[in-house]
Amino acid sequence: MPEVKSMFREVLPKQGQLSMEDVPTMVLCKPKLLPLKSVTLEKLEKMQQEAQEAIRQQELAQKEKQESTAG
Amino acid sequence: MEVTMDPLFLAWSYFRRRKFQRCSDVCTKILEDTPYDQAAWSLKTRALTEMVYIDEVDVDQEGIAEMMLDESSIAQVARPGTSLRLPGTSQGGGPTPAVRPVTQSGRPITGFVRPSTQSGRPGTMEQAIKTPRTAHTARPVTSASGRFVRLGTASMLTNPEGPFINLSRLNLAKYAQKPNLSKTLFEYIFHHENDVKTALDLAALATEHAQFKDWWWKVQLGKCYYRLGLHREAEKQFRSALNQQEIVDTYLYLAKVYQRMDQPITALNLFKQGLDHFPGEVTLLTGIARIHEEMNNIPSATEYYKDVLKQDNTHVEAIACIGSNHFYTDQPEIALRFYRRLLQMGVYNCQLYNNLGLCCFYAQQYDMTLSSFERALSLVANDEELADVWYNLGHVAVGIGDLTLAYQCFKLALANNNDHAEAYNNLAVLELRKGRIEQAKAFLQTASSVAPHMYEPHFNYSTLSDTVGDLQSSYTAAQKSEDAFPEHVDTQQILKNLRQHFALL
Repeated sequence: MPEVKSMFREVLPKQGQLSMEDVPTMVLCKPKLLPLKSVTLEKLEKMQQEAQEAIRQQELAQKEKQESTAG
Repeated sequence: MEVTMDPLFLAWSYFRRRKFQRCSDVCTKILEDTPYDQAAWSLKTRALTEMVYIDEVDVDQEGIAEMMLDESSIAQVARPGTSLRLPGTSQGGGPTPAVRPVTQSGRPITGFVRPSTQSGRPGTMEQAIKTPRTAHTARPVTSASGRFVRLGTASMLTNPEGPFINLSRLNLAKYAQKPNLSKTLFEYIFHHENDVKTALDLAALATEHAQFKDWWWKVQLGKCYYRLGLHREAEKQFRSALNQQEIVDTYLYLAKVYQRMDQPITALNLFKQGLDHFPGEVTLLTGIARIHEEMNNIPSATEYYKDVLKQDNTHVEAIACIGSNHFYTDQPEIALRFYRRLLQMGVYNCQLYNNLGLCCFYAQQYDMTLSSFERALSLVANDEELADVWYNLGHVAVGIGDLTLAYQCFKLALANNNDHAEAYNNLAVLELRKGRIEQAKAFLQTASSVAPHMYEPHFNYSTLSDTVGDLQSSYTAAQKSEDAFPEHVDTQQILKNLRQHFALL
């Protein structure tokens, strides 16, 4: 649109000082790339989870047994 | 008439097909009929070992006791660049904490986690005790009471008849004289039962029987000594094994000993020696790269990871580390290519999609961003991962200026993981934009108590207190921020202003 005259014209002062105040602003924590897990770590975690599950099952079974003997 | 397979052959076949539970069941049956069948017995120990086997090179969890009551360190304050315990010392030109988040120990976060890098190494006793015990950072008091024992007891619990082999009744001297039985028995004791002391006894007897000429037993002795924390003895055994037979694994074990003794330079030299004998060996190159990374020398770590990729272009760790390095050095589009490569290789998990989403967003490929995050959300395995994905989505929302969405994302991150310090900090910034100063203050205080290693909450708290006129709190917070990130210019500025102000009073 070369013909249309712009309503606003930029003002560039040729004299005087230009000052800018550097105000400390709050910072955000940065985005976090998630690290991939090594095969060993994955296996360890899986084993731990399975072990916990097994223990839980066994404890549940024991509890039921105790309840049935008590009742 | 039905023709059945010979049970031992069947068990062996199961073993080869990695169906260890079935193999063990068949062996149990054979052993019920003929209790003295050595072949079945040995096969069963191998099957049970394989079920819980993890690569010993990778496993390393340092407990608080080992770290703090360390007798092998020579100097209290090591010279810069010679220790793994002073993270900030080497000026490798890597990204600062202003760009790349840091872990608890003050190292930049890595692109890949292994069991040993999971929780950073705190520098002092005070720091070790102060570190909040969340589910992530919990660390055993000693490595002897760590994961191994928990796994060991679990495997016993699931066997109602008790353990397969009663170790206390075993005549070790007898087994040590049978080379074909003793090796499998050793591995069973070491990996399955986690009874390092008995394993050490067996290894000592066996190496004696082999007249100290079998390198395998020396390596096993070294492994036992390492687990018991006798690093010098372990070093001796590995050295002696290397003199007899050059094996890559032995180099890795020995380097692990040096790393534990906090001698990264010696470990590096050892790896280079190993590379003379095994040129281009990927594990050795990876070892070098890891040490450089731990010493905060990211550029040379990247060089070595690139060497790794020249040898093995499907090495996940190398690709992930180079990718994350590119992301944090302001080249998300190149990082995106590395992560896409991982996707092509068949890695399919929440972390990868999360990283892809972030790279897409910062590389201005907006069409893929949200769908990647959707995938990541559908693949999460636990609440911590879910929190991290929501946290990153919050950043995307901040980036597009949708602050309501950002607020909700950070809230969701906190709902899934109550200890997510970064989310607390970012929420505080958003609250302050809404003008809720008290709320922002509370969030910042929580963030700085959950993660004292991050500079952002301290700095924000300092700025906030400064604007409301609480100069004393501002000063203490700025000092904490300086501890966490000494080169931060804005913190320095605040401190300077406050000091001037106090001097005028």
